[in-house]
Amino acid sequence: MKTDCYIGIDVGSVSTNIAVIDNKGNMLDKIYIRTEGQPIKALCSAMGKIEKNWSKSLYVQGVGTTGSGRQLASVILGADVVKNEITTHAIAAQKLVDGVQTILEIGGQDSKIILMRNGLVYDFAMNTVCAAGTGSFLDRQAARMGFSINDFGNLALKSSSPVRIAGRCAVFAESDMIHKQQAGHSAEDIVAGLCYALVRNYLNNLAKGKEIRETVVFQGGVAANGGIVKAFKKTLGTDIIIPEHYDVMGAYGAAVIACSQRKMKKTSFHGFGAVKKEYTAKGIKCEDCSNMCEVIEIASDGKVIARWGDRCGKWSDMRAV
Amino acid sequence: MNKRVGIPGGLYFYKFYPLWESFFNELGMEAVTSIPSCRKILDDGVNASNDEACLPVKMYHGHVIHLKDRVDMLFIPRLTSISKNEYICPKIGGLPDMIRHAIKNLPPVIDVEINLRDKEKSILEAVYKIARISGISKNKAKSAYSKALSDYRAFREKVKRGVLPTDILEKKIYPLPSKRIDTYKVLLLGHQYNIYDAGMNMNIIKKLKNKGVEVVTIDMSSSGELREYASTLNKKMFWNFGTLAIGMINKCIRENNIDGIVYVMTFGCGIDSFVCSMAERRIRKFSEIPFTVITLDEHTGEAGVDTRIEAFTDMISWRRADENNFSAPG
Ligand code: SF4
Ligand code: SF4
Repeated sequence: MKTDCYIGIDVGSVSTNIAVIDNKGNMLDKIYIRTEGQPIKALCSAMGKIEKNWSKSLYVQGVGTTGSGRQLASVILGADVVKNEITTHAIAAQKLVDGVQTILEIGGQDSKIILMRNGLVYDFAMNTVCAAGTGSFLDRQAARMGFSINDFGNLALKSSSPVRIAGRCAVFAESDMIHKQQAGHSAEDIVAGLCYALVRNYLNNLAKGKEIRETVVFQGGVAANGGIVKAFKKTLGTDIIIPEHYDVMGAYGAAVIACSQRKMKKTSFHGFGAVKKEYTAKGIKCEDCSNMCEVIEIASDGKVIARWGDRCGKWSDMRAV
Repeated sequence: MNKRVGIPGGLYFYKFYPLWESFFNELGMEAVTSIPSCRKILDDGVNASNDEACLPVKMYHGHVIHLKDRVDMLFIPRLTSISKNEYICPKIGGLPDMIRHAIKNLPPVIDVEINLRDKEKSILEAVYKIARISGISKNKAKSAYSKALSDYRAFREKVKRGVLPTDILEKKIYPLPSKRIDTYKVLLLGHQYNIYDAGMNMNIIKKLKNKGVEVVTIDMSSSGELREYASTLNKKMFWNFGTLAIGMINKCIRENNIDGIVYVMTFGCGIDSFVCSMAERRIRKFSEIPFTVITLDEHTGEAGVDTRIEAFTDMISWRRADENNFSAPG
């Protein structure tokens, strides 16, 4: 017997996540892999894994994509909904955590805050510029100090007096950490200090003037880091809930939206076979006018299937599909 | 051959171009403007200008560079105030000097001061000065100005009927507002050069329209009416834009006919950060209208703007669906 399901895919520059749910929103399967600068490859291998896990027993009823590569994923897989990551994260938290009013999210490449009131999005902010507030920055510091990212979070929890680290920008934070290391502070105090610095940076950039009401949910890859969770609890003075599927919330939300629209039409999903084709993405620099757009062209088996990135529409309208 | 006057396509271009264009044309000159803002104009502007300058001022530098070799003179007025008892940004007041300092080999620059704070007569003084510079009689200049003023008023009337200034400037065929089928009405708040310049804000207006949104701006209301609405403020603001923005917000709250408000601001602009936080406080305190801020600087990525606009329109439609008892956003 086949299992009815909805698939949500979140393609970001750092990780590519997939959530497979049933029509009640229960998680059937999930995948979290690194994108490593190759979104198409990551997407295809993640979908390949799902197919293998279920050996043809899934009956896909709908597909939703999200993340910075949502358009790309949609073109390759045939998505029924293509949603921005604010909406998908909000839907996911609302579905999984009763009474959520504040969503803190820190992923590999960006961070966001979403305020919910009466079950609706009320306000949001997103940081895509400052590296000091992201998971990649933590990864880098862990690597620099010679720890795995998992040990990094646990180490922070051992600290009794975190050192104060300037966290306003990634470059400052790093040099300040080196300075504190040289001054002889213990590794756990420095690591814990970094967690506080990141939380301060996050709150200053995203939460300024916003009222953080409970229930507070923390999601995104960085929510696995105990040191950051503790720093949030201490700084906000509230409890923090980490949903079970914290690492694939965007994908989960995309699947939930695909599911909620299931009655509208038959799915446009191209099938698992789609990920076995060859895809190439290339950048074309259009010089036809002074906008000098970087147009992205996706081809499958030598045939152009989509183009985007142009301001005027002359490339994106030329779809050869 | 007619003299060509260059009017750079930045800053107060979006407010006054119809006035200036008509005035110079009436004087028998040819008003020439630069191409719409784009990557090249921005890059040239960034390279030429001071690091401290804000994005709109940098963009303006780029427009000047683009125009300067194609015209006989440049019109870069020194705007210090455009209405009574109110100032505009000091960066705009010092614009002609900044441009002369940053960009070499300029054609002659008409940099008359326009200051309406003290007496409205000063605009006539400016007009006469331009006449003197270009060797035209006072009388001819005066009648050119009154023709320009009536053209400008006609333009303002169209805008007040709900037509976007950009649609008029691009000489588009615009649908009459009443025939529009857009679903939501969103107020786009911000300095004119931030909200109307598509090359600066990654085409926000078009992005909103594609999402089925009707875009409303401050210019569609008369400034007299907005001042009325702003007069509830205990202390008078000294910035023209701030007064109008707050007046507009009060009006939207009172009339209760707006589905969302987007504030487009320049990173690092003191006036924007002041007006924006004041606007946000009022909106949150006195209404439930969804509100968001989009901040522009030269590193603003298009993907980020798309995500914010989409999330914002989702937020509006989700709320609408909730009011009508539908589930989840679509
Ligand atoms: S894609 Fe269009 S807008 Fe972009 S550079 Fe080419 S012609 Fe210009
Ligand atoms: S008001 Fe702000 S954006 Fe406008 S010129 Fe002044 S500093 Fe720049």
